[in-house]
Amino acid sequence: MSLAAWVRRARTPAPAPVKREYAFFEPADLFDMDVKDDPEASPVLCCTGDPAGASAFNALWLKRIATTGRYAAAVSVRGQGGTPAAEGGLEARAHDLVQAAVTVPRQTVLIGHKEGAAWAALAAGRYPAAGLVLVSPQKVPKQPPTPVGGPPVLIVVAESETQSKEVQAVAAAYGTAPLTFAGSPDDVFKGAGAEGLLDAILSWLARKD
Amino acid sequence: MQEYSSQAAYDRGEAVCVIGAGASGLIAVKNLRENGFEVDCYERDTVLGGLWNPQNQHSPLYPNTHLVTSRSQTEIPDFPMPDDWPDYPSAAQMLAYLTSYAKHFGLSEHIWYGSEISHVEPVEGSRFEVVVKPAAGNAARRLRYAAVIIATGHHWAPNLPSYPGLDQFRGTVLHSSQLKDPSRLRGKHVLVVGGGNSGADIACEAAVNAASCVHSVRRGSWHLPKYLGGEPADYALARLNSRPKYLRRFLTDRLLKGPARLAARMGVAADGSPSEEEPVRNGRYMEHVGDGSIQRRGEIARFDGFDAVFVDGSEMRPDLVVLATGYRPKFTSVEPRLLGIEGDSPYPKLYARMFSPRMETLAVAGLVEPGVGVLPIVHWQTHAIAHWLLVRKSDPERAANFRLQVRSEAEQDTARPAGSSPRHQLAVDAEEYLASLGRIIDTLEQEPAK
Repeated sequence: MSLAAWVRRARTPAPAPVKREYAFFEPADLFDMDVKDDPEASPVLCCTGDPAGASAFNALWLKRIATTGRYAAAVSVRGQGGTPAAEGGLEARAHDLVQAAVTVPRQTVLIGHKEGAAWAALAAGRYPAAGLVLVSPQKVPKQPPTPVGGPPVLIVVAESETQSKEVQAVAAAYGTAPLTFAGSPDDVFKGAGAEGLLDAILSWLARKD
Repeated sequence: MQEYSSQAAYDRGEAVCVIGAGASGLIAVKNLRENGFEVDCYERDTVLGGLWNPQNQHSPLYPNTHLVTSRSQTEIPDFPMPDDWPDYPSAAQMLAYLTSYAKHFGLSEHIWYGSEISHVEPVEGSRFEVVVKPAAGNAARRLRYAAVIIATGHHWAPNLPSYPGLDQFRGTVLHSSQLKDPSRLRGKHVLVVGGGNSGADIACEAAVNAASCVHSVRRGSWHLPKYLGGEPADYALARLNSRPKYLRRFLTDRLLKGPARLAARMGVAADGSPSEEEPVRNGRYMEHVGDGSIQRRGEIARFDGFDAVFVDGSEMRPDLVVLATGYRPKFTSVEPRLLGIEGDSPYPKLYARMFSPRMETLAVAGLVEPGVGVLPIVHWQTHAIAHWLLVRKSDPERAANFRLQVRSEAEQDTARPAGSSPRHQLAVDAEEYLASLGRIIDTLEQEPAK
């Protein structure tokens, strides 16, 4: 985040605060002797463009992330799931995501799915994320802000999307080649395709730690 | 001479030493770590949070301390405060915020508590030898660092005025930092000395708790309520800076007209133009002056037994005198010459208010009074310092050019007339200083010319 961007933001009205809905899962919640909380591993915070919000990650994601010893959390931004709708567009949703990120106990990895990827991209410009993962990004600004603190960035897209201009633009903006997963971009929350995708993300996170 | 545990100093290589684990120190540690430096932070006390922690023995907190700048202008740019907090958080919330900042970024493992720095000495060109004296009686340790950042703050060494007869005064005299408990004011006749933020806050506290409250000020000051036009005052004023220049003056005057008329009516208006010094930000003070629970008087001439005598000849008999006379900057470990402290003035002369004029690898974080929240300013300062250390290591030619630029920024800065009182030596115009910081950071972040 540049100083100029901060000055601009500090002088525009802050989005109206809302009571956000969170879902989280700690390794201890699994009641599994083999899973140990890993103090070195960064927590993970997920968001999605799906209207279900945080609860979409309850089916598979949070538990699966927690089995790697990470604190796993998801947030519903304004208008999703149990979070009331409020004024504000992309910026306000990115604000919701940053506000969620600072409540996570340690410096967190941001995972954004679909429109959530745009919010995560904006949030990473304001908060020094431990990593940034964009799953099937949609509506990401043409020139996303440079992530603060230089976190590693991963872009994962469905096979059907690899040729889309939008995905290529995002990949070019971050200068990384996207990883592909089998299946539909809307069907990432459960099923065989989802497990493959999640394992790819988790092994990428583990590699960098 | 001091006894050292070992003769040879332990060399910490490229690591950086940060002195102080208050707000500025924590931000410095985080920003240096983010740029890949190893950091050792030494804290004299046994707790973090510096002035915001009431357990700190040098804490300047008085009863009911709140921020005087609003949340959105005070939070650290990359770690916002929870958005359901009030506009002006309390000292306890501020401490919770700093604690969560330290926890979130894992800063505690780099902090050595109970370790006072007794001496910092330049060695081998640009490196420093630091003598750490643990509080628990062990022998001092000597370590060598590539750079030192001083973040000891300037709100811990009380500035105590001297009045004739004050030492023989028969009532109680306390500095604002000693007044921990508001019940000390209850039922007393209180005299509050000093017209700054702490003076106005304590006078308001005394107005509702004490039997009577007299507020002695040397001169009028610029008072600002905490809200203007339905918005937090600092936010409302800062927002005008994004308006076109020809409108700015008009809009500012319109916003300040009401408070200015009230200040004139209460006889507390400053002589000069308002923007020259840091305002007193208090929404309740004027109301208490208006209902007579705070009586304003001029300067104190002398103390006489039980009595305080004012310059205008009036007298009063206070039970409790609270000296809200602020603090002096104090540097205990570094040779004053290195910070550009010359003559009698305790105020350092630094390049861009952060770089030592003598040593390239010595910097001070948070030694400004910008009239807006200090935390974001410290964030950008330490951001610049970390980038400067990186550039210095990787590209000596750019580093030399940068040094020249900073010197010219510093000269522009001193060309501006200083504030009207010695207290305002640290004051900077936030708008100008941020612009100057922005230029410094842009130069440091530029891609090296190929």
